[in-house]
Amino acid sequence: MVMAQPPIYLDNAATTPVREEVFEAMRPFFGPKFGNPSSIHSFGREARAALDEARERLATCLGAHPDEVSFNSCGTEGDNTAVLCLWRAMRDSGRNAVVTTPIEHKAVLAAAHEVAHEGGEERILDVDSDGVVVDESFDEHVRDDVAVTSVMWVNNETGVIQDIPALAQRAKQRGVAFHTDAVQAFGKVAIDARTQPFDLLSISGHKIGAPKGIGALFIRRGTAFEPLIRGGSQDRGRRAGTENLAYVVGLATAAELAVAEREQHWKETEHMRDRLQALLLAAIPDAVVHSRGARRAPHVLNISVPGTDNESMLMALDLRGIACSGGSACQSGSVTPSHVLSALGVAPALANAAVRMSFGPINTEADVDRVAEVFPKLVAKARSMAAA
Amino acid sequence: MLPNRVLVAMSGGVDSSVAAALLVEHGYDVVGVTMKLFSDGSEVPDRPCCSLDSVNDARRVCERLGIPHYVLNMESRFGHDVMDDFVAEYVAGRTPIPCVRCNTFTKFRDLLHTADSIDAQWIATGHYARVRDGELLRGSDDAKDQTYFLWGIDRAVISRMILPVGDMTKSETRSIATRLGLTMVANKADSQEICFVPDGDYVKVIAQRAGADSPALQRGPVVHSDGRVLGEHDGYARFTVGQRRGLPGGFADPLFVVAIRPEDRAVIVGPREELLGTGVAATEVNWLVETPPVPGDPVQVRIRHHSPLAQGVVLRAEGGEVEIALDEAVVAISPGQSLVIYSGDRLLGGGFIASPRRARTELPLLVG
Repeated sequence: MVMAQPPIYLDNAATTPVREEVFEAMRPFFGPKFGNPSSIHSFGREARAALDEARERLATCLGAHPDEVSFNSCGTEGDNTAVLCLWRAMRDSGRNAVVTTPIEHKAVLAAAHEVAHEGGEERILDVDSDGVVVDESFDEHVRDDVAVTSVMWVNNETGVIQDIPALAQRAKQRGVAFHTDAVQAFGKVAIDARTQPFDLLSISGHKIGAPKGIGALFIRRGTAFEPLIRGGSQDRGRRAGTENLAYVVGLATAAELAVAEREQHWKETEHMRDRLQALLLAAIPDAVVHSRGARRAPHVLNISVPGTDNESMLMALDLRGIACSGGSACQSGSVTPSHVLSALGVAPALANAAVRMSFGPINTEADVDRVAEVFPKLVAKARSMAAA
Repeated sequence: MLPNRVLVAMSGGVDSSVAAALLVEHGYDVVGVTMKLFSDGSEVPDRPCCSLDSVNDARRVCERLGIPHYVLNMESRFGHDVMDDFVAEYVAGRTPIPCVRCNTFTKFRDLLHTADSIDAQWIATGHYARVRDGELLRGSDDAKDQTYFLWGIDRAVISRMILPVGDMTKSETRSIATRLGLTMVANKADSQEICFVPDGDYVKVIAQRAGADSPALQRGPVVHSDGRVLGEHDGYARFTVGQRRGLPGGFADPLFVVAIRPEDRAVIVGPREELLGTGVAATEVNWLVETPPVPGDPVQVRIRHHSPLAQGVVLRAEGGEVEIALDEAVVAISPGQSLVIYSGDRLLGGGFIASPRRARTELPLLVG
């Protein structure tokens, strides 16, 4: 394949490159600091110190106590754990339902389905056409028979932001544990467990410049919890298994950087996103930007052009050196209709045209210019073919 | 259009894998695409295509070749154009051949559209057929020739087709796969059955899509061509012209299905000589040559995949229909199958068989 310029990566909501500082912070743990944090000898103590320190650093980033931080393997594990472990712990005390939204990541939705499969009740909240949870629906469903309510802070497909502090507060008033999938939110919105009453919050390393294969779950003190993974006594028994220390250190480092740079990063990505959105809408006036009417995270632009389909658009963009995504990919890698856009009431044809572009620190204003030049051309071509 | 770019339809099998590999070797800008045509629910291992394993094999081949690979979800279009028609044909008492419509609509129309969208001048497949001067020729390996399934494509597409394995034998294709290190596909079994009919149980597909209460799956009479009712069958969709299995026994001469009559769900049976057809008529005819044959022209025809070529003469060719007189009678001309017409190696065109002309009696019930 002949590629005149290096490809542009506009899929930062899928994953991000490991940051240099993160890589450097991890390096000693692939070398001399190889000990097992559970060992009693000097190697183990050295590792244990690094683990404790990383836990404290991440806790600080979240406004949490160190013992409220549970490291795990990924956002999916955190989401699964939050829903299943809470429900399993609460089901016998009259709280047999879980509540979530139709626009959650599959990691939450599949866990909620599992709850239903195991005899619990699954309740799905209404969202409006921008994907914002409808207050009345929340009040109707989040009652005293609910074990856990899970609402994602920033949606991965459209970027729509939920008012998590307010929702968490309302859940708290009903004595319902509240989980939020903050995988896309961390490093974008301000998160502080001291002032925001969520009980559980999951984050993922590879969305913020740490490697794939590391995540964390904030579990507020006093939250009922039945472990998913059992074995040794690591992590207070909440998650057995030898800690992935190098990656834990990487996550703590990336999280600190993300928090320190959060406001600046918001400004920069929002500027790029908004400029691209304006350029594309100017070139393609009938294009539809999803969740545009709501508050959105600054890095996501999800746009549908009537008369196009995202499979062809994504291929054509890729072959022109622009990496974007559609909805979530199915196992075979084909693009499947987005359950998120369906929940927003987007017509199937328009949903099947949705292209998600997501910005990160590696993007530049020049990327915006090139995409703004190429995308409308591909649209024009697709439309002329459809008309032919 | 990029004059060097070719979209290769990759099933994960050895033929399309070698096709892609040869195009890479020849310096083309190759883009591999696997079409996801249906969901089987459970992933069936060793299915020729559409299983997750097949997609994975196609992707592994592309990774090895250093070319991009995409999976296209064509389930809804394939379901409409191919599977729905497959079921409707059985319900209408015919024996469909879905591979023809897959080539016509899915591969060489919808996938060509994808090729257009990525500026690919060319579209390539692993078919055993050859392209020459804007026409299609039978594949060099007579045992593997796949032109029987290609007659329905838009003639204009031929000039954009590359069929890299069309002049090879299957064993040559396999040895090229081995030579190029495509070990993941080199020894895969050939696809035999219809891809969306796992384990050959097509009745299940009909029941799923038309409903178990479809008339084609209800009991009906088995009627001898002389008018006697011989018994009952449990769904005429289970029968095809020429079939012997599942019919009442105990007759002096073995009985065969000679016709299916959906109006009263009858399966008509008769002795073998009633299967003999001295001619064949087809509808929805498509020509793939600039000058289609005219009445009086000698042609060779195939009435079933792998059936021997039969010599014949064009009786009539007009308005999307064609009628051929056969020099020697052939057995089991089945409505719904394809009549494919050749002149030597050249694929002239084809159509869907509407009705056979019977050697012994003209059966008025055989209305196309």
